[in-house]
Amino acid sequence: MLNYIWAGLIVSSFVFALGYDVRDLSSDKYRNGQPLPVVLAFPQGYDAAARRVPVEVRIDPREYASFYRTKQSPDSSYSGYLLQTREGVQVRLAAGSKLPEPLATIGKVSKSRDDELQGRLVGFTPPAAKAGVVFEPVRFVKLNAIATAALDFAKTGAEIAIGLIGVLALFLGILKIAEDAGIVFALVKLVRPILRPLFPDVPPDHPALGMIALNLTATVFGLGNAATPFGIKAMEELQTLNPSEDTATNAMVMLLAINTAALQLVPPVLLLALMGTQINTLIFPILTTTVLGLIVAIVAARLLGRLPGYRATDPNRNA
Amino acid sequence: METARNAISLLSFFVLPAILVGFPLYGLYKRVPVYESFVEGAKDGFHVAVRIIPYLVAILFAIAMFRASGAMEAMTRALDPVLGLIGFPAELLPMAIIRSLSGSGSAALVVDMINQYGEDSILVKMAAVMYGSSETTFYVIAVYFGAVNIRKTRHAVPAGLLADAAAMIIAVWTVRLLYG
Repeated sequence: MLNYIWAGLIVSSFVFALGYDVRDLSSDKYRNGQPLPVVLAFPQGYDAAARRVPVEVRIDPREYASFYRTKQSPDSSYSGYLLQTREGVQVRLAAGSKLPEPLATIGKVSKSRDDELQGRLVGFTPPAAKAGVVFEPVRFVKLNAIATAALDFAKTGAEIAIGLIGVLALFLGILKIAEDAGIVFALVKLVRPILRPLFPDVPPDHPALGMIALNLTATVFGLGNAATPFGIKAMEELQTLNPSEDTATNAMVMLLAINTAALQLVPPVLLLALMGTQINTLIFPILTTTVLGLIVAIVAARLLGRLPGYRATDPNRNA
Repeated sequence: METARNAISLLSFFVLPAILVGFPLYGLYKRVPVYESFVEGAKDGFHVAVRIIPYLVAILFAIAMFRASGAMEAMTRALDPVLGLIGFPAELLPMAIIRSLSGSGSAALVVDMINQYGEDSILVKMAAVMYGSSETTFYVIAVYFGAVNIRKTRHAVPAGLLADAAAMIIAVWTVRLLYG
């Protein structure tokens, strides 16, 4: 299933990105190669010999709307400068200008080294104020975006994992003490009546049950930092019971399903920060939803495991 | 409800110190060489983190591409009429889809919706309950199964997604029941 979802995400993102890009090209959304009419004003006067001339660029909202066939309208004026070279005159709008769409998207492609929106000035005959600006052609924005996103998040993935090293080391160390001191074993005896029905394949005295109990305790109290190392340790314990190297057992799927349901009595810190005092009205619905979600997760993990297709791949099927 | 919440959040302040201090202390009492044990266990931290990198990268880059492609908007439009039938607001569909895929993405959606509708709107309440009552299924799968090199996930994905879908619908219903 994960194979198909994974491939589906990648293929569908390519198909949709291509579809949007072809639509933009065929509707000429970015008016590639056509000059956008602008009015120039020179606060310090125009000097034909100067390389840089400060300029105020005004775009008439009505002209903008009909040029790009959009409802968005530009600010009253944008400050920038003209760059006069032998090849022609360029106009650059200061970086950080609040540009309307689609000019904002164009600005991501047609930009100078300093992230200024940059275009070629055409039809400019000083001292006349009217001129046109031609930007770099914008094509395949979405295709470019999905490629950039893939690269960015590959980096993020590694960063998340590397960022976990310290916390993992801390809690795996603490857990080793707990094992050596017999705390895990004591915990196993304590939680056996509750957890055994959920994990029937785990032997009654196995430390995995203790690790699962610690994982669930941390989750319930909203201690995400601790819950992850405990959960990983629980998975490692379950893996010692797994006759296969790369296939999940029913117990592993159950542990995962319980974790994805995120049973917690304390709402996530982030939600507290976002919602402020409103959070008080949400405690009860969150609790109800998470408990019912947990029940669905447990039932689904148990029942789906009985389907013939999944039973055939069970690593414990011969046991 | 509020006192219960305060009691729980107060208690949750003590759980972590109890583990961090209590375990080594009990270890000492049991004559465990606590420092040596700790270092022995902590050694695995690096290996586990490195082991999950390929799994995390695989999941995160595929989801990032999907989000950047605009496929979500198209899906929202396509599913809109179906959702009307079960009383699910169309504004919440992006949240329902992204919740299982990306934790940061769904948090960003909550922020967007707060800016758009305000904290006390019922839609934001529903989105917040969705965010608070579910975990990012694909992230959990990558981390937990990645740590033990499990590649064949069997029914983990369908079970997780079924639970997510149920939680999304239940979130809408409970909030509507209470504040609708």
